[in-house]
Amino acid sequence: MTSSDQTSREPAASTEEDSSMAAKAADDRLKHLAQRAQDAQRAQDTQSAQDAQSSGFWLVFASTFITIFLAELGDKTQVTTMLISAESQAPTVVFFGAGLALIATSLIGVLLGQWLSNRVSEETLDICAGVLLLLITIGLVSDIVAG
Amino acid sequence: MDWKLFFVSFAAVFISELGDKSQLAAIALGGSSPSPRAVFFGTACALLLASGLSVLIGGSSSFFLPEKLVKGLAAVGFGLLAVRLLWPNAKNA
Repeated sequence: MTSSDQTSREPAASTEEDSSMAAKAADDRLKHLAQRAQDAQRAQDTQSAQDAQSSGFWLVFASTFITIFLAELGDKTQVTTMLISAESQAPTVVFFGAGLALIATSLIGVLLGQWLSNRVSEETLDICAGVLLLLITIGLVSDIVAG
Repeated sequence: MDWKLFFVSFAAVFISELGDKSQLAAIALGGSSPSPRAVFFGTACALLLASGLSVLIGGSSSFFLPEKLVKGLAAVGFGLLAVRLLWPNAKNA
């Protein structure tokens, strides 16, 4: 009686074990698939973030370049450079000196902006930067009107 | 290399550029832009080209470019950059 019970129970138990193992294996496979899908998604996200970053770089570069270039044409720095260059008859040396000074001032400007961005909240800094750029715009417009 | 002339040019331009509008713009854009390196390269290239032109030509480019037009275009550029910063959520769009 007891032995027959055991024998009848054993296969049942082993089937249960089998099915639970199978379920676990299926579960593992599902998890694995989900993980792979997640990895793929993440890789895609990183890729598109990199794309956005590189297109952002050139957008920022181009808009900064064009605006600053136009603003500097005919500015007092250009007049200074021109005067020194014409007086000394050594335009290359003047260009090296002036160029180094311009690189230095723009580096100082960008570093100062970075330093500020670590201390002021992003929203405040954006508003201040926008207002500063608007003031420059107004200054240029009043130059045009007055000149 | 005439080092005296080099330092005179450097000092003159450095002092006249400190606090000038292009440096103020570099501060404003460098702090608020997602890629300050692009702001630095853009600013430096623009300034180098502008001063290179003035040294080469030996005169201000207003000889052949109407000054008001150039200033007007620069004003439009600064205005656009300002609006982009002040426009709500412009950065996320």
